[in-house]
Amino acid sequence: MRTRLGAQRIHWPRLLTVALLLAVLLLVLGCSTGDPQNTFSPEGDVAERQRDLFNLVLWPAVVILILVEGLLVYAVLRFRRRTAGELPAQVHGNTRLELAWTIAPAILLLFIAVPTVDAIIDLGRAPAAGALQVRVTGIQWRWQFEYMDIKDSEGKPLTVFDELHIPVDKEIGAHLEALDVIHSFWVPKLAGKLDVIPGRGNRMWFNATKPGTYSGQCAEFCGLGHADMRLRVVAESEEDFQAWVDDQLNGGGSAGATQGVPDLVSGGE
Amino acid sequence: MARAIEERPSAILEAMRQLREDAASYRGIWSWITTVDHKRIGIMYGVTALAFFVLGGIEALLIRLQLATPNGEVLTPDQYNRIFTMHGTTMIFLVVMPLSAAFFNLLTPLMIGARDVAFPRLNAFSYWVFLAGGLFMNASFFTGGNILQGELGAPDAGWFGYAPLTLSRFSPGEGVDFWALGLLILGVSSMAAGFNFIVTILNMRAPGMTLFRMPLFVWMTLVTSFLIVFAMPVITVALFQLLFDRLYDANFFNVDKGGTPLLWQHMFWLFGHPEVYILILPAMGIVSEVLPTFARKPLFGYPFVVFSGIAIAFMSWGVWAHHMYTTGLGAVANSAFGVSTILIAIPTGVKIFNWMATLWGGSISIKTPLLFAAGFIAMFTIGGLTGVTHSVVPSDYQQQDTYYIVAHFHQVLFGGAIFGLFAGIYYWYPKFTGKMLYEGLGQLQFWTMFIGFNVTFQPMMILGLIGMPRRIYSYPGGQGFDIWNLVATVGAFLIAFSVLVFIINVIASSRRKEKAEADPWDGRTLEWSLPSPVPPYNFKEIPTVHALDDFWHQKYAEDERGRPVPVVAGGSEEEEEEHGDGHGIHMPSPSFFPLIAATGLPIIATGLIYDPAIVAVGAAVLMVGIYGWALEPATE
Repeated sequence: MRTRLGAQRIHWPRLLTVALLLAVLLLVLGCSTGDPQNTFSPEGDVAERQRDLFNLVLWPAVVILILVEGLLVYAVLRFRRRTAGELPAQVHGNTRLELAWTIAPAILLLFIAVPTVDAIIDLGRAPAAGALQVRVTGIQWRWQFEYMDIKDSEGKPLTVFDELHIPVDKEIGAHLEALDVIHSFWVPKLAGKLDVIPGRGNRMWFNATKPGTYSGQCAEFCGLGHADMRLRVVAESEEDFQAWVDDQLNGGGSAGATQGVPDLVSGGE
Repeated sequence: MARAIEERPSAILEAMRQLREDAASYRGIWSWITTVDHKRIGIMYGVTALAFFVLGGIEALLIRLQLATPNGEVLTPDQYNRIFTMHGTTMIFLVVMPLSAAFFNLLTPLMIGARDVAFPRLNAFSYWVFLAGGLFMNASFFTGGNILQGELGAPDAGWFGYAPLTLSRFSPGEGVDFWALGLLILGVSSMAAGFNFIVTILNMRAPGMTLFRMPLFVWMTLVTSFLIVFAMPVITVALFQLLFDRLYDANFFNVDKGGTPLLWQHMFWLFGHPEVYILILPAMGIVSEVLPTFARKPLFGYPFVVFSGIAIAFMSWGVWAHHMYTTGLGAVANSAFGVSTILIAIPTGVKIFNWMATLWGGSISIKTPLLFAAGFIAMFTIGGLTGVTHSVVPSDYQQQDTYYIVAHFHQVLFGGAIFGLFAGIYYWYPKFTGKMLYEGLGQLQFWTMFIGFNVTFQPMMILGLIGMPRRIYSYPGGQGFDIWNLVATVGAFLIAFSVLVFIINVIASSRRKEKAEADPWDGRTLEWSLPSPVPPYNFKEIPTVHALDDFWHQKYAEDERGRPVPVVAGGSEEEEEEHGDGHGIHMPSPSFFPLIAATGLPIIATGLIYDPAIVAVGAAVLMVGIYGWALEPATE
């Protein structure tokens, strides 16, 4: 009789264990792929700090998850009703135990709070004075980048769209502005996002520690073209960057990139 | 003298007989339209919410179909934006909230030993306003042109409608007006219900039902009602500001005229985070009733669970800006809200541990309600732990507005709230319908829903972490998103199948011949002492309560080792007929006026969008409803 009951219930632990293992496996898989916007493979100091901080919480959370789910499945199976009239002891509570599982998580959480606040302050500082200053303007549905300290022959800042070139290992100071609605500037491998809000100048710093092309996109829903409001950051050596700047200032590139933009700028009016 | 003694019980019996007859004629469409009976209103809330659940589910399937493959072309970007906006709005305001309200209605009076809520007609009004608001909101689909050609007119700015995207300049058409006015109408419904349940719980408890003898579900109803009463005014103000901007060219959010878009976010989330707990606390209450019954053990640490519920409610007012870490509030604000978000994990954790301890050492009957309740704990734990990761502000800069967030809140609101609500549906279904749902179909529903849920939402965690933002109508291939999106879509259809199983179960069980017993699960709370279905007047005699889980203590005494021993049954149900309380049972009369008053609101709202003359018509209808209501005698 008991074996029959057990046979009926056997799918309980199996399914839950499989689901859990699957979830963990998927997570590991997710971490190992080389996807262009994967937050687990950072190529900038800011993104790396954020990844490390996430891992600091992720693994204890996974351990707690397995413990809780394991205990839950164990409890349901171990204490399942075997005879209809069965009556267990009526335990109403245990103050000491309950205080323990109130205080223990509080202490555990304190260990998260300290590095969190520390990182908030570090990453939230204003861009350094010597950084490459770029004004980033979100426009439905394009990105405009103005190099504030690089001027063309008419004294206007070098302006490009949707593709930002930066020298590798150099701090970039991004000054975020929006022309129409709220957008969010996000290049996952370089730095977490910061919102681009009309009437509010947000600032952030980031860098790229390895040459390459980094994919990003608008992360705040901004209307019809939200999904297409993508950008690229090209990180290159100081020499390559200078060459690119000179090329832009001497004609070709900049004019080409601006094509069709006035339309978009006034699109929201 | 002897005659007088004989006459008194017979007069009471006569009154009882009359009531029975009334109950027998207690059918037909008009009896439902005019009802003020909390049980019928609860059933109407539940059925309506489940209908909206199907609608919101269809919207979800459309979203998943669109995203199943890269560059999806099932929907246009415009359709996609409207459908995801309506999916979120529907599931929160037209499904989880009213489904919780269904349980408030069905259970609160029974659990505290009352014959109805404090204000029965206000209760009917709440329901009709909810229905009116839901229909009004969904009517917006038809304002975009020819709906058969896919020209949808629904709101298109997301369920939290961030300004300035919601301003007429960026969202022309009437969609957002319908959304804002629809939410205002639903707010009226929620406020009325909130006050009603606060007064009911504080004033109408049976003798001996002290606050700390109330079932946990009643506690959570009380806490949720307070949250509703304080949170709804905040969004009401924000929605008025938005409507002033849209309809009358005010400039609350218009940057060009000095408005501040962030004002909306502060207002919205100051409402929005308590709202999250408005959605989850009732389900926590249900789980706290289901677990003790199916484990045959009292809730472990009842006072701890009550106080952690209250603590969560208080703290929910201090975490709103964790929805806004990336708006650039600065290091001080982000640190403060990061830490408050960490703290709210503590009372939440306490609840999970107490539920586990309730199961521990019990005699667990593995039936559908218990499965859903255990599923709630299993999934809510993941929701809670991912919630803790949000308190780590800098790493949240990466996850904010990605599918990781989508996965997290579905973990809480589906894996949590919806699983908890289904536990409640299976548990209390026999009490109100007199029929048991089929156990086999119930288990099939649980397992398909549980597996479908995990297949749908766990891949979204990965999608978010590998960089997929939410609310994009399509994505190019080659970013590693393809496979996980396809898996999620498969899971969504498995969930849809599980809902179909539930519908089949309801239909099949309605044809069942055998009547449900009064107490099929060996319940602990007062409602199980009543016949199934519960008669209109609930209690023939208002009970006197002696303990927490009073009905359990009527059935079982404890021996000296603390083990329960069955009390010999006294057949109290048959006896009751002889013991009247000497006053007869006066139930409030049915009324048309709550419906009439409620009908006025969507008419006024329509007028605000299209023509002031219609506003006057709506106002007239509302006044007729209120006057009739005020002048009509409450009981015949």
